[in-house]
Amino acid sequence: MRNKYHISRRNFLAGTSATAIGLTLMPFSLGANDQDQLNFYNWDDYIGEDTLSDFASITGVKTNIDFFADNDELFSKLREGNPGYDIIVPSDIYVEKMTKAGMLDRIDQDKISNMGNIDVNFLNPIFDPNRDYSMPYMWGTIGIGYNKKQLRNTPDSWSHIYDSEIYSGNISLLSEATDVIACALKYLGYSANTKSTKEYKEAEELLIAQKKHIKVFAEDNGQDLLASGDVLMAQEYNGDIAQVMLEDDNISYIVPKEGSIIWEDCLCIPKDAPHKENAHKFIDFILRADIGAELADYIQYATPNKAAKDLMDDEYKSNPAIFPADETVKLCENMLYQGEEVSRMIQDTWTRILAS
Amino acid sequence: MSYGQKVNIIDIDYNWTLINYARATDGVYFFTLFKSVIISFITTFLCLLIATPVAFYISFSSVRIKSILLVSILLPLWTNLLIRTYSLIALLRTKGHVNNALENLWESANYFLNLFRLANHNLIGESFTPLSLMHNNFSVILGLVYIYVPFMIIPIYLVLEKIDRNILEASYDLGANHKVTFFKIIMPNISVGIISGIILVFIPCLGSFIIPELLGGADSQMIGNIIERQFKSANDWPFGSALSFILIYITIIILGVRYVYSKLYSRLNQKGVS
Amino acid sequence: MSKRIRHYTPINYTKNNTLKIITFIFLVILYLPIINLIMFSFNDSKRNIVWRGFTSKYYEKLFENEMLFLAFSNSITIAITSTIISTFLGLTTAIALWKFNFYLKKYYDVALLFPIIIPEICMGISMLVFFSYINWPNFQLWPFTLSSIIIAHVSFIFPFVAIIIRARLSMLNNEILEAGLDLGANKYQVIRKIIIPFMSPALVASALLAFTLSLDDFVVTFFTSGPNSVTLPVKIYSMVRFGISPEINAISTLLILIIIICTYFAIRFLSKSNREIIK
Repeated sequence: MRNKYHISRRNFLAGTSATAIGLTLMPFSLGANDQDQLNFYNWDDYIGEDTLSDFASITGVKTNIDFFADNDELFSKLREGNPGYDIIVPSDIYVEKMTKAGMLDRIDQDKISNMGNIDVNFLNPIFDPNRDYSMPYMWGTIGIGYNKKQLRNTPDSWSHIYDSEIYSGNISLLSEATDVIACALKYLGYSANTKSTKEYKEAEELLIAQKKHIKVFAEDNGQDLLASGDVLMAQEYNGDIAQVMLEDDNISYIVPKEGSIIWEDCLCIPKDAPHKENAHKFIDFILRADIGAELADYIQYATPNKAAKDLMDDEYKSNPAIFPADETVKLCENMLYQGEEVSRMIQDTWTRILAS
Repeated sequence: MSYGQKVNIIDIDYNWTLINYARATDGVYFFTLFKSVIISFITTFLCLLIATPVAFYISFSSVRIKSILLVSILLPLWTNLLIRTYSLIALLRTKGHVNNALENLWESANYFLNLFRLANHNLIGESFTPLSLMHNNFSVILGLVYIYVPFMIIPIYLVLEKIDRNILEASYDLGANHKVTFFKIIMPNISVGIISGIILVFIPCLGSFIIPELLGGADSQMIGNIIERQFKSANDWPFGSALSFILIYITIIILGVRYVYSKLYSRLNQKGVS
Repeated sequence: MSKRIRHYTPINYTKNNTLKIITFIFLVILYLPIINLIMFSFNDSKRNIVWRGFTSKYYEKLFENEMLFLAFSNSITIAITSTIISTFLGLTTAIALWKFNFYLKKYYDVALLFPIIIPEICMGISMLVFFSYINWPNFQLWPFTLSSIIIAHVSFIFPFVAIIIRARLSMLNNEILEAGLDLGANKYQVIRKIIIPFMSPALVASALLAFTLSLDDFVVTFFTSGPNSVTLPVKIYSMVRFGISPEINAISTLLILIIIICTYFAIRFLSKSNREIIK
């Protein structure tokens, strides 16, 4: 019985071996390592419409763009080795993490002639002293997006969403553990970068008590919930709220008076980048005043490029969702990498909050 | 990897530690896992409830209608999951299309009541309160059923196709009614399909994270979300793998129970015959 | 198919009104979100929330958007290739598991379920680790940039295929095959004339499923892709930060349209050939 059908087993083997042969032959077609290329790994829709073609016409380097959706994805993807990217755009805390993990290459500042355009406040950030590994791209804050019409007063404090039942069921918070807990710490009057277990415990209790009033921990779509009327207040990144503000006059943005988190996206060169020379050229190009202004105009985020900001109109410079008041900015903190133990504690806290 | 331990940001020490499994016995994880199993169970049951009649209808239609129906069931699957979920959100949210439609219905009902001078009696409530269809466990189950139903229909349809229509006829000719035919002939024959359908629905449900994340509310965390977080923001691959493997063990246990059960069942049946 | 005498059978479930109504309601609900999606591809707003008037500008923009087209063609290439490979592998695996009793078969059976049970993200990370462990080269030339994605897709899709085909195979009884052999058919003929026709509904269904799974996969694709290999899901997921633009609705609508047209011709073609056979 078994012998009669051995043909199908042979088939099976033939199939597998054919696949195997196919796979072994593949590497032979390797080649064409063009030096005039640049592999740019960026957030989606985070570069000017003509920026890449302008770069190509000036330097002759063709840019291939590829996208990721959040810093964690970027980090996990490069963790086991660089699959071939030349420029990546991680946020501050990840710049620090990647530097510590040896995933980034030092930027040769002699090759960046436009470094002088950068605002002095951005030249020596705590997450990357002296800008050895990163160049600033855009920055912003976390705050509260709210519906002006339906709210009785301006939510100028974190208490409106962290410690109040007035708008129960109409509040959305972010779903990123570090952000939500850091803002809770800010509200409680602690540093966002604390290492104290006691302070985290307090934040946890605050959030567990408030949870019944929170409609949803939104996966970076708080602006949609706000625009559709599902919530009246949403904790969000300023840029997201700025986007819906363009379409809906009832929506506004505020950074609470207790201070908040400040974020900064940076241009970095990952280790083993195949086109390092082009990557430097690209960073230098982005830091040009006119290009910086073009980018700021398209993306509508705050630019750290002072020369570029000077070229922009007043509408951009006075938009509260882009540039918060200076005294608020002073209260804000950059997130720092606290080491594995603290980040595990934050994650466990978050799991407990969600499961409670 | 689940037996490894993190030594610093990116390096993992593979030392056969059980620490990750010990961590996973914490009540939080057990509770979430239990909840995920319940949600997946309800989803699978609902899928089965919907899929069986649909599969029957398709399988007994003419060739032409059959192919049209089959394609129309598969067609939504070729639209990206995220896009479909976002569309579902558009329908379900507080000011979404479903609630708008209900509100219109309410208003026109009220209008008619007005005509008959009954409005003062508040027969259908004083004003329209939108149903909260989003951001709760209900919406998670709804979303899961919506996404996974085709995976239940197809296997059931495939086995139904196989049943020889002559046997059914014979059963009628021999005096069995609809009910008897269904339970004695069709059910035993399609059980294989139902079981593969259950596997194809239950297992992905258990590990799903996108739907609970987008459709769920503040307390709709499922085990899939925790696992995803370990791999992404927590950057703790060993623990994520440990949790995944616990999920795998549970599924295997469930499958094993089913296997034993079917063995016992067939033995009982044989006894009945002899 | 042709030997079924459906028209004379007294058991016709299509006549059952309850079934009819359930199927109808099911299809309506299934399509509500899709209709919504199509509608909003004509919405004059950057986000899919409030209706702001009719426009076809997103379709115009779509045809200028090279990136989206590249992603689209990458997705289709990957889906077709991995469908072919995984249907083949799935079929051979199913036959092997059905026909032979080899050492550790029971365990192989369970192992086959692994890719289905393992949470996607765990699968994706394992693939990432695997490819970097074996030092899979980063190809620069187009179709080969997709090789790692295709391999990853095949490895998690073919078990699905195998399961569906096995369910069908378990119904094929051995007597038919033996009868075929007794009547002088050789082994190839048995496979071609008995097994394949018997399997064809399951083959078609599993190929469709494979195509669907591959086309829609994000997590595994993300972790196995290198530069120059954006796929549609990867592009769509990366849009989450800035909101998903109606362009995506537009391209999904186009995709649906293409599929409907293809199916229409396929059905016409099939029914034509069926009629010819009957003649």
